[in-house]
Amino acid sequence: MKKKRIDALNEKAKAIQRLADGEQPSAAALAERRMPQGCTTIFDTGWETNPRPTYPVGNCQASARDFHGCVGDCWWPAQMPDGLTNHREFDVQCPNVARDWRNLKYD
Amino acid sequence: MRWATVLLPALAAAALGAAPRADAGDRYYYLGYGVVQVIDGATDTIVADIPVKGAVRNVDLSADRKYLYVTSNRHLVHKVDLAQNRVVATADVKGDGWDRVMYGFVLAPDGKTAYGAFMSRRAENGEAIVGRPVVAQFALDTGRIVRSVEVPWGVAHLVGAREGRTIYAFGQDLYTIDTTGPDLRIVATQPILDKGMNMLPFWDYTFDNGGVASMNYYTATAMGVMLVDQKTGAIEDLVLKGDPAMAYSVVLAPDRKRAWAVMDDLTEIDLARKTYVRSVPVAEGTCYGVNVSSDGRKVYVAGGGSTLTVYDAKTLKPLKVLQMASDGMDLRRISF
Repeated sequence: MKKKRIDALNEKAKAIQRLADGEQPSAAALAERRMPQGCTTIFDTGWETNPRPTYPVGNCQASARDFHGCVGDCWWPAQMPDGLTNHREFDVQCPNVARDWRNLKYD
Repeated sequence: MRWATVLLPALAAAALGAAPRADAGDRYYYLGYGVVQVIDGATDTIVADIPVKGAVRNVDLSADRKYLYVTSNRHLVHKVDLAQNRVVATADVKGDGWDRVMYGFVLAPDGKTAYGAFMSRRAENGEAIVGRPVVAQFALDTGRIVRSVEVPWGVAHLVGAREGRTIYAFGQDLYTIDTTGPDLRIVATQPILDKGMNMLPFWDYTFDNGGVASMNYYTATAMGVMLVDQKTGAIEDLVLKGDPAMAYSVVLAPDRKRAWAVMDDLTEIDLARKTYVRSVPVAEGTCYGVNVSSDGRKVYVAGGGSTLTVYDAKTLKPLKVLQMASDGMDLRRISF
């Protein structure tokens, strides 16, 4: 019996839990794969996070240069605007992140 | 004088009954956001801006080298006239009630259709319906799906081979799709992820390399370069010796003995010895795209951020930095 790691605390979460009663596992956590997994369920970009000797973390330098690439394809959707669904015109508002970021207006 | 320079060649071409062609030489196409910018390889200056709607992702070149098809926002396909440097038609692969996103795009040899890897969704009575992922052939003028084959989740890139008779679909595995029958069929599956290969195959430089797609990947200990020969369909897998260089993309030098890779550093690769030759940091920062002049003397890195840097291939000294109109996804070369 695996240890339960998440508890439903509010009504919505409890309702979701009831919906899942009796379900068998249908997906494995990405971290359980033997390859480093990245920011997406589409495939892997985990190699970007490889450490290297000259920088503290092997991500893009500067991170702004990777912003549009991630927005447009919905990488890191929790951290960046989701360019495929909710922010499809992001490139119009901010075609150059380093120059135009002040134009961004989010609720 | 300037009008004469522009008008006379066009009039001459019209008199000959032929569509005007782009001037001879290398042209680089910077794939930006809301714009494709054209750089003249002789002067390394921006010579045209081509407005396009959306975030540009994939491109493919028509067989007559007169049109560049440019996909954006993962659902629009713009047809760019390379002599006029303007969009002459746009199709949308969304339709028949489905909201589609397209990862991977290659032209079919008929010049009227193309292949894309699609994920799709629609709403029905307030419920989200998610379609099965497919590789589909669609009409370039309307975006309408002609035929399709279901594929596993995760297909992110397509490479056409053997005059369009084969489509390679790159996902967590590599699927070989036979296009010759009435239906598209997956005829072979080769493991990628299960072989410990981790791949981000968005950049392949097939037409820039003269018909060879070049894509890098990583194992836990090394970087490899996968080469797909479009003519034969042969796939060559080169595992490079030494600590891996970090790279988004790899382009072949014209002699195909060397290659150039870029991410935070520009790295030269000896393909015959399967080793790294040398590397320099890109001062402007991370770049997604790399390209090389048709004479091999200059290397270009661009995309990610809004800069394009030109390097002397011999000294690896930067020759020029262009500030582009927007951030970018890639830099492609067409030699006319």
